[in-house]
Amino acid sequence: MIYSIEVNALSVYAGKTRLMGPISFNLSNGGTLVIMGETGAGKSLIAQAILGTLPNTLHAKGQITVNGRRVDQMRQSARRRMWGTVIATLPQEPWRALDPLMRAFRQVSEAHHYVGGKKRSLANADTAKAFETLGLTGAEKQLPNTLSGGMAQRVAFAAATAGNAPILLADEPTKGLDAERHTKVVELLAKVPKEGGTLIAITHDVSVTRRLAGEVIVLRDGALVEQGKAIDVLANPTSSYTQSLIDADPKNWPQSEKQSDLAEKRDVVLTVENLAVARSGKRLFEGFDLTLRAGERVALVGPSGIGKTTLLDAMAGLIKPEAGTVTRAQSQSRHTVQKLYQDPPAAFPARIALKHVLKDVARLHKTDWSSVLTTLEKLGIHPSLLDRKPDEVSGGELQRISIARALTVGPKVLLADEPTSRLDPITQRDTLNMLETMAAAENFAVVLVTHDRQIANKWADRTIILT
Amino acid sequence: MTSALMKTVFAALAKRALQALIVAVVVGIVSFAMMQALPGDAAYRIAAGRYGYDMMDAAAADAVRLELGLDQPAILQLWIWLKALAQFDLGTSLVYGTPVIDEISTQLGYSLLLAGGAIVASLLIALPVGIAAGLNPNGIVDRVTFGLSVLFRAIPAFALGIVLVLIFAVQLGLFPVAGFHGPENLVLPSLTLGLGLAAVSNRVLRDSVVDAMRADWRLFSRTKGLSARLTLTRHVLRNAALPVVAYIGVQLAYLIEGVVIVETVFAWPGIGHALVHAIFGRDIAMVQGTALTLGLLYVALNLCVDLACRGIDPRGRLA
Repeated sequence: MIYSIEVNALSVYAGKTRLMGPISFNLSNGGTLVIMGETGAGKSLIAQAILGTLPNTLHAKGQITVNGRRVDQMRQSARRRMWGTVIATLPQEPWRALDPLMRAFRQVSEAHHYVGGKKRSLANADTAKAFETLGLTGAEKQLPNTLSGGMAQRVAFAAATAGNAPILLADEPTKGLDAERHTKVVELLAKVPKEGGTLIAITHDVSVTRRLAGEVIVLRDGALVEQGKAIDVLANPTSSYTQSLIDADPKNWPQSEKQSDLAEKRDVVLTVENLAVARSGKRLFEGFDLTLRAGERVALVGPSGIGKTTLLDAMAGLIKPEAGTVTRAQSQSRHTVQKLYQDPPAAFPARIALKHVLKDVARLHKTDWSSVLTTLEKLGIHPSLLDRKPDEVSGGELQRISIARALTVGPKVLLADEPTSRLDPITQRDTLNMLETMAAAENFAVVLVTHDRQIANKWADRTIILT
Repeated sequence: MTSALMKTVFAALAKRALQALIVAVVVGIVSFAMMQALPGDAAYRIAAGRYGYDMMDAAAADAVRLELGLDQPAILQLWIWLKALAQFDLGTSLVYGTPVIDEISTQLGYSLLLAGGAIVASLLIALPVGIAAGLNPNGIVDRVTFGLSVLFRAIPAFALGIVLVLIFAVQLGLFPVAGFHGPENLVLPSLTLGLGLAAVSNRVLRDSVVDAMRADWRLFSRTKGLSARLTLTRHVLRNAALPVVAYIGVQLAYLIEGVVIVETVFAWPGIGHALVHAIFGRDIAMVQGTALTLGLLYVALNLCVDLACRGIDPRGRLA
């Protein structure tokens, strides 16, 4: 049997330290491999080693054979010639992978023309066809900054596959997408092996693995934990790590206790009446009402672009609503409404140690530093982490530090804008668990914005669906 | 041209037109006030300029004062100038008696030639240097050009001009020292200004090339199959050019200031040279006229930069 891709004892080293491997797998046409594991487990290193895009400080060992040719022994320039024509890559952050100054259509048609070797007219015709198939009609003239995450992912897909490469490498293809777009991207990927291609997908999402099926490799800290058919591994995992990945899927979360009798026992902390919000002059929705009580957990669910973030900003008093009112309980200052952001690194100054940021907030609000440290301890953050800069801690740690920062002010309401959508499933579950515990202990209300109904159902006392 | 592009062009034009109006009034008032603040009797200086120091006396100065209305209150003189300006009349040179507009229109051409030459020279230096340094950050080219950039930015334009004259004109005899007799005269003054401009813009370009080469979209362009050359020409250069072109706008202040100094050093028959002479001669009308023209030139060049940026970057265009 001739495999389209054959990997034998592949490992990636930084100097003498092994970061990933050894792993082996074979895939023939129509095959699917899913590589699973947390961020930092070395999943992306496999893709980079196959492609030949490892940073200079790293090197790979082992054999990689593509269509019968030993890729690992090829010169770099020869490997690069395979890009787009033999191996296509779907990038992790589609927004950042598209040229910000070039319109969507041209980014795809140039690949048809230069990589596919088609004449301009044919390249344009094929691009138009791809836009139609992918549901991108109307987006031809758009620039990447005006595309939604899902659209950008599909444009990148169209551009990556224009050269008709039989092997597709997809690195975290569903990261940050809402439930509906998530499904669409997975459907798109599932088509690749059906049409005779070979798919290698990297993900930390169990639901993606389940849908793509095929073979699965589970990595932890770069080491192989488990390998086998996806159906078997997901049904009967042999390692506890795989089990914990499966448990972290929101579908499998235990149900949090629903607090139902709040109305009698707790004070109202925030009242929203008849709120309407708009973004760049366009009204997003109106007539939004909400009464929040201390300690309550409310989930706001809705697809991307519906205005969830704008709504939170209005509730936080950061923007002026189009209509309606947001009222805090009389005894509360405006600091008692705090916000958590979706992208933790963007919520911290990049070049300043975390300790300074937290100390500044504590000093400004006359909060005792030791109480901040206590909060951090409860959130499982070791104080030594605070000497680092935001990009030197993990996303989950940073989000927990930003929770601690918000709690420094002693909030009554915490508005959390998809605080875990960029985190690993295990970290996501842990972070939300902690948020639940803290809310109960400190008696503050949480409004959690999420696009995942499973999370809303399992975690919140009640769910408001925005349509 | 698409209608979206037309709209953005008109938006830029309208903004700059308003700016030009404000610049005209402010420059007129400020230059007038500064001339008033200069010590000495303007009428004496003007009479000296007209007849020569040996041929003038107090009577001649008084005659000049009366003729030009220098005895009138300053505020009235300013008002007369502004009123004439509103009718696009810059008045006549107090020393030569010729219309200021005639003087400036010949000088402006020379100054624009010099400014253009300086920008071309700076790009000829900055583009290859910045790209070479950016493609190999912290390499030998990067480090050497960084040192040279600091050096050239630190040297004032007049000193650099004199050094260049000493080397290329006096020692090597490659180019004429000063004046304007032909294109060969353009080289040294353009180079003087161009080196100062390139000293900073090559670093801006270097940084934007480094950013572009590290960008996810550059790697994706490669992995989707485009060659290194195509990725460079179709994606990297356009993205890297944007900050550089925008930065030229920032550098215009240096350029205009440099034109005044470098023209004086090289006896270049341009508007900056005329401005310096007019100040010494207390030729108020000429000072106001030249300062105004330089101010408007600044606005006009900024408009060009604006339009170039909008041409490169489609993001700001209204859909």
